[in-house]
Amino acid sequence: MSTRAESVLPEHSPGSLPIGILLAGLVLVAIGLVGVSNLLTQGHSAFNTGSSGVVWGLPVSAYVFFVLSSTGLTFVASVAMVFGIKAFYPIAKRCVWLALATLIAGFISLGLEIGHPLRMIWAIPLNLQVRSPMFWMGAFYFLYMFFLIWKFSYLQRNDWDSPASRNVGIASFVTVIIAHATLGLVFGMMAMRPFWYGSFVPVYFLATAALSGLAFAVLFTYLSHGTDTSRMEPTLRELMERFIPKIFALVLGVVLVFHLSRTITGLWSNNPEISLVMEYQVGTWLFHLELWLGMVLPFILLLLPGMRVQPMIQVLSAVLVLMAVFIGRYEYVVGGQIIPLWKGTWYPDFIAYTPSFTEWGLVALGGGIGLLIYAFGSWKFNLREQPRHL
Amino acid sequence: MAKWGMVIDLDKCTGCQACTTACGMENNTLPGENWQDVLYYTEGEYPSAQMKWLPRPCMQCENPSCVHVCPTRATYKDMDAGGIVFVDWNKCIGCKYCMIACPYGVRFYTDESPLLEPNLTKVFPGRDGQQWSPPYQNPNVDWRRGIGIQPKGVVSKCTFCYHKVSKAPEGVADLDEDNPELVEYVPACVRTCPPKARYFGDLDNPGSNVNKLVADRKGVRLLDHTGNRPQVYYLGSGASIPAFRPAPKA
Repeated sequence: MSTRAESVLPEHSPGSLPIGILLAGLVLVAIGLVGVSNLLTQGHSAFNTGSSGVVWGLPVSAYVFFVLSSTGLTFVASVAMVFGIKAFYPIAKRCVWLALATLIAGFISLGLEIGHPLRMIWAIPLNLQVRSPMFWMGAFYFLYMFFLIWKFSYLQRNDWDSPASRNVGIASFVTVIIAHATLGLVFGMMAMRPFWYGSFVPVYFLATAALSGLAFAVLFTYLSHGTDTSRMEPTLRELMERFIPKIFALVLGVVLVFHLSRTITGLWSNNPEISLVMEYQVGTWLFHLELWLGMVLPFILLLLPGMRVQPMIQVLSAVLVLMAVFIGRYEYVVGGQIIPLWKGTWYPDFIAYTPSFTEWGLVALGGGIGLLIYAFGSWKFNLREQPRHL
Repeated sequence: MAKWGMVIDLDKCTGCQACTTACGMENNTLPGENWQDVLYYTEGEYPSAQMKWLPRPCMQCENPSCVHVCPTRATYKDMDAGGIVFVDWNKCIGCKYCMIACPYGVRFYTDESPLLEPNLTKVFPGRDGQQWSPPYQNPNVDWRRGIGIQPKGVVSKCTFCYHKVSKAPEGVADLDEDNPELVEYVPACVRTCPPKARYFGDLDNPGSNVNKLVADRKGVRLLDHTGNRPQVYYLGSGASIPAFRPAPKA
């Protein structure tokens, strides 16, 4: 087994720590610890959420962002490991490890948001409330984490396609399909929140998960090669120049269709709890940042054959898309709550919500620990590895 | 076992908020975190503008969406306790999914910034796990049913004053505050209502006054389209919630 590790900067030789990612992770964790310190001293009064306003705020949005990115990374890894498309093997191991890192980032963000995270560990499994979509979401994401670790242990032993290894890969793929769908139902089943309601939600999450998973895969693959395709092995280089940009553009196009159809349907709707929220969101700069800079611009860049092969264009597209997906998660989660539910004239307008520093801190902590986990994997495990018979 | 229900006559309610105050005193809720409130609405414009108000306890729904979503069964509908929906504070993990799922906005997570100043959790710091410990507090405490002062990290709600109602004689059809033998068992909001706009009784008892009122006065349940089927009925004109309209931009 090779123990070669990676670097983030071109001048760094393989075998060194990914210093840039490590530093970014440490900075985020430091910011996160300030947030946690606020949480420990002030409790949830350090949040800008509340009984009479937005109940689920930024940390829940970040949880959705991270765990669905993990879902998408598993989709990308599964292209080779479940569906047998061998061209995707060069990024498969990195995607599995990144999926684990983003999943844990999501768990941290959510775990610190709820009132009793430790009680959750026994209270959910011992009470088996099978009617709750949240129960199933937790069960399947936990099972998914277990399968991810198991699958990675096979890859670390260079066992890519033994029947056992393949079956664990299939199990993790199937589990995450169910997990993401139940996460969609956590929101989609809420008929009393029309902005969220609908069987469309798991499908919408599926497409957007694939998009953020692809963006993470592109970004971290390039970062580990100093955004230089000449430093890549030929199979990886062919994947990154030939297949990935086209698939990235295709998935982004699908998500754009979903996004626009959701926006137009929402604006057209007579139901004020949908149309007014959509009108409100379309009137904010955040929406236009998400649509034009985060989706339309990278889509155009990825459509142009001369542009999409360039590493920096792909990296830029990945960063912009991740920003757009993050904004999208926030707008979706908060959008379902900004119309006051039966509150009367005490709440004459949309409920105002701006995340507090502490809420941002929890997201930073989740993201930072995710980056540190990735950096550790990049240092200790050879994430560039692919089957030797290729 | 009874199926406790409440009937609120909007033609008699004056919107005085005595019920809200009595509930706060009885259950030691933090200011602003009103398990029971009276909500005011304005609808329409001059010359047909209306002002209406709706007292709002927990609806103790027959088909409670908050119970269905709770991942730990901390929130539950107790058919042996008159169909009241409780929160078990020993099991609640504070995920707030019930607050998302309740169409009536009657669940409270009070760890966050105080709705009204001064912050009484600082003025009277909590002991024994409570969020605050006021100089006087109701001695009835049952965390398994969410009765008492709310601890940190959990959700609370109206219990129909179960600590009083549960002591009522078996088989009683109505808990009427005008009956000296029953007055101590009547929920605080019902007992205190100056114009006697609230009635409390057994919806499973064909002879109860609450059933008679619902039938004779054409009682309605609010937001009935959600399918939650409240055990709280409203009588009189104005028993509806206007759709949300944002305030006009200045």
